[in-house]
Amino acid sequence: MIRDILKPTLIIVAVAFICVMALSQVQKLTAPEIAKRALEKQQQSLDLVLPGFDIGPARTAPVDGRDFTWWEGEKREDGEARKGYAFIVRGAGYGGDIESMVGVDEKGVILGLSIIQQAETPGLGDRCVEVAHRETLFDHIRGGIPNGDLPNEPLTPWFQNQFKGVDAGARISIARRGDWNPEMRESLLALNAVSALTGASITTEAVVRSVERGMALLVKARAAAAGKGAEAKQ
Amino acid sequence: MRYWKELVKGIWSRNPQLVIGLGFCPTLAVSTSLSNALWMTLAVIFVLVGSNLIISSVRKIVPGHLRIPIFITIIASFVTVVDLLLEAYQPEVYRSLGIFIPLIVVNCIILGRAEEFAQKNGVFPSVLDGIGMGIGFGLTLAVLAAIREVLGANRLFGYPLVQGMEPAAVMIMAPGAFFTLAFMLWAMNAINARKKGK
Amino acid sequence: MEIKVFVTILLSTIFINNYVLSRMLGLCPFLGVSRRLDSALGMGLAVIFVMTLTSFITFPIYKYVLVPYRVTYLTTIVFILVIAALVQLVEMVIRKVSPGLYDALGIFLPLITTNCAVLGVAVLNLSSGFAAPEASLGLLKSVTQGFGGGAGFTLALIIMAGIRERLEIADIPENLRGVPITFITAGLLALAFFGFSGMKL
Repeated sequence: MIRDILKPTLIIVAVAFICVMALSQVQKLTAPEIAKRALEKQQQSLDLVLPGFDIGPARTAPVDGRDFTWWEGEKREDGEARKGYAFIVRGAGYGGDIESMVGVDEKGVILGLSIIQQAETPGLGDRCVEVAHRETLFDHIRGGIPNGDLPNEPLTPWFQNQFKGVDAGARISIARRGDWNPEMRESLLALNAVSALTGASITTEAVVRSVERGMALLVKARAAAAGKGAEAKQ
Repeated sequence: MRYWKELVKGIWSRNPQLVIGLGFCPTLAVSTSLSNALWMTLAVIFVLVGSNLIISSVRKIVPGHLRIPIFITIIASFVTVVDLLLEAYQPEVYRSLGIFIPLIVVNCIILGRAEEFAQKNGVFPSVLDGIGMGIGFGLTLAVLAAIREVLGANRLFGYPLVQGMEPAAVMIMAPGAFFTLAFMLWAMNAINARKKGK
Repeated sequence: MEIKVFVTILLSTIFINNYVLSRMLGLCPFLGVSRRLDSALGMGLAVIFVMTLTSFITFPIYKYVLVPYRVTYLTTIVFILVIAALVQLVEMVIRKVSPGLYDALGIFLPLITTNCAVLGVAVLNLSSGFAAPEASLGLLKSVTQGFGGGAGFTLALIIMAGIRERLEIADIPENLRGVPITFITAGLLALAFFGFSGMKL
């Protein structure tokens, strides 16, 4: 009776063992490349939200029982040294958590927002990463582009673009004006507001509230780090 | 070669989606763009050929009542390899296909071919069967994806098509997928009926 | 705030991002079992049970075993084997408790293992960010998502079964019968469910 259970179990375990051994070899081969990509992606986000800044390594400080990570950057503008801070925030959307990278200046005004990870409803919430295109395939075929390649499109999704200039330290309002375009910038910033995604109120709220929360945590984290720094100096 | 039939049957006469009726989940969900369709097909062919190869090699030593968990383990291993390779060398594709890469494991086509064919046939015909089925899967996927991407996002392979045309977003979403596949199946049935009528 | 998150997860998985009609997972059993209302209900309940239990088991395995030992590349293998074992268990239980249901579901019961929705929800729990170190109440959110996914699947299945029972006696063109007309119906249902996206929570 024991043999009836033992033999099949051993066979399955043997098969599983062989497979896992083979897989671990593949994983060892691909691991460095995967790590490189992850780092590249992070650096890309950082450069996007703090454009033109020299960004230092990640810093951590405990806030409200958890570790908060942020990056500090410096840039010379008009002869003055400007500081910027970047941090990652997460909010609950329709399809799980939405992760964004936010860059702010010393006063807490947003310099850039980049949504890193989202799983929102296609066609509705996931328009938060939608980019407009300029050239069409027919333009391309008709020989419109001299070097033969489609121009690299560094266009930012409008939903993320509109956060620039918003004060993350104050309450951010949500307006319903449809798809944002640059003409709306002045009037919305006067209200410290952003325009919501049509049909995806939860996606919009998730991003906005997570930015507000992240900013509050950043303030506390910097205070904690400064306090520790003062202690260390003693 | 005498195994030509095994290679070609998967493309039309035994097309996995349109004739046998397997593999609908990835077909509908991944056919939002031609690029996704291409990469998914490559991944599925890799897993299908790999698992058919191993399973037909060991078919004589695998005890019958244990075959399902063993097949699943082998298939899952190949899927993991594809997952790691894509994450390392094609991160955009990896992000775009998302959860559907690990879901290749439960793609009925792969387990179906293992049960139906690889278990009972030699290595070479099993590999051909895998390639043929994979190509057939890919063709259906490609046609579906082309229709949906052009009508639903005004693009082909990611490149915008007609300036100023507002695409029918419903095609990119679930209803569009269901309707388009329904019409393709209808067309397939009509063509087969006409052949029989002759 | 916390309760609202769970209500959002439930409403999202059942209506807004329904696993069958929006995410297009779980289609094989959806096509195969949706012919009669009673077997549809039985299948639905089995799937709810499997999906909830799967989330409950796979999430801790990922967060407390695979991640700390840095073998996350084994996720797919481990998850699918856990699901296979769970489905075996459910099969044995149903056979004992309700032989009638066992016969009615037939081959479709072991096929729950290859139901994209089950492995799908296990993987979605991870990609939703519930397992991240900064996330809170991950296990509860995952189980809620598993339950909601199953409930949404069941809802779609029951509605489909109700419609198909009527379609049996309808006069449908020869080449549309069977799978094509089912997909058209599914498409119309998917369109209808789209209305839920406007829900204010």
